[in-house]
Amino acid sequence: MSALSVARDSIVSVTGLTKCYGALVAVDKVTFSLEPGTITGFLGPNGAGKTTTLRVLLGLAAPTDGDAFVFGRRYAELDAPAHRVGAVLESNDFHPGRSGRDHLRVLALAADLRLSRVEEVLELVELDAVATRRVKTYSLGMRQRLGLATALLGAPELLVLDEPANGLDPAGVHWLRSFLRDFAEDGGTVLVSSHVLAEVAQTVDRIIIIDRGRVVASAQIDELAGRGQTLEDFYLELTARAAS
Amino acid sequence: MRAELRAELLKQRSTRTTTSLLAAMLGLVLLAVLLHGLALPADKLTSRSDQLTVLVGWGEVLGALFAGLLGAMSITGEIRHGTIRPTVLVTPRRGRVIAAKAVVGMLTGIVFGVVATGVAAGAGSIALAARGLDIQLDGGDYALLLAGGAAAAALWAVIGLALGAVVRNQVPVVVGILAWLLFVEERLVQSIPDFGRLAPGALGRAISGQDPGTLLAPALGVLLLALYAAAAAVVGWLATTRRDVV
Repeated sequence: MSALSVARDSIVSVTGLTKCYGALVAVDKVTFSLEPGTITGFLGPNGAGKTTTLRVLLGLAAPTDGDAFVFGRRYAELDAPAHRVGAVLESNDFHPGRSGRDHLRVLALAADLRLSRVEEVLELVELDAVATRRVKTYSLGMRQRLGLATALLGAPELLVLDEPANGLDPAGVHWLRSFLRDFAEDGGTVLVSSHVLAEVAQTVDRIIIIDRGRVVASAQIDELAGRGQTLEDFYLELTARAAS
Repeated sequence: MRAELRAELLKQRSTRTTTSLLAAMLGLVLLAVLLHGLALPADKLTSRSDQLTVLVGWGEVLGALFAGLLGAMSITGEIRHGTIRPTVLVTPRRGRVIAAKAVVGMLTGIVFGVVATGVAAGAGSIALAARGLDIQLDGGDYALLLAGGAAAAALWAVIGLALGAVVRNQVPVVVGILAWLLFVEERLVQSIPDFGRLAPGALGRAISGQDPGTLLAPALGVLLLALYAAAAAVVGWLATTRRDVV
């Protein structure tokens, strides 16, 4: 495991984060940090603690122990969180009877954004033509893009996406990859969780692997390539070692 | 708070939930008032108290009931559909979300209460006229009915919101409010009136002037129900801010 430095000026800094549900330790002393302009893959099997870590990071759940900071503060203490962090935790967090446009307008009002921003993000994710339709008529891919539009409303510096490629067709995955690349090239930072290696291998700069609540590895994709290792070899070796 | 209030108002306007509840309420008010007005024996409809309690009072009862459901669904609907996550990501100080829902719930509750009691008053007069019975209610009675109906519905919206925030699951909350207001309280008031008249549904009826022989005076009723709603709001606020978001 490479050394994990927790810089104070990190975009995200998670230190000794632990989250228990009764006797179950869902997240166990997780520590990592993110640097600006990078895409980090947060990988691990289903149930490894990825979503729980993200939920604590985003203030939806309280940590049992440790800290999770974004821009040096707890999420709930950010002044205008939508302007700094955009996040999607589930692919279907919409009222089925509300139109895509109204879904975005509700959140734009709550974030005190101008409503023209809604039209901008609708165009960005290519949903402007279906914006007046109720979400229940949307395909899974359209819902994923609406979720992304929700995250982008406040033009944030950090994107946190939980399994964003779930249910996307190959063209959708390709679109998402190039979108995230562009976002990072413009200086944005991305934390993207996934249990499907192929989705992230071509997109991320760095990976953090979590298994049974613990961080088992953290590496730059370049380092792996330098050692002649594929991400898949690396991942399987680590999760197998942890299992034995 | 202004941003959160505007967001909550648009949430209510942008789905069919609010208008469906309003339509269901209107249908039930008409049904209840006309059924009682046309089917009850004439001697049960002649006194002022009877006309307030078994006839036009249905407007207040159903207004409070549907405002309670609306308040509850403003939070359980978000939990059910997952929109609570984007909501609290934008407004991580969750107390503000609850406060905005309480204010918007009260405003909508006032509309529900006025519409329900207004329609009940109209339908009640028509039913009595059709039976050839004299209307014993005066302007003061109608004014109290409308004002009391509005106040009861506004406060019940907050009580419903708090129940929804604590229980979080939509079906038990909706069934619970329905069962409590339509069945449990009536038995309670009949069997133990000293205790039953302090129940929140009975207070709503008291505020609008119903059953003055058994229930509390309107002013005392509104005071007690406001206390209940305030206490419920605190519990709902704690339940939302202290627990993890689902």
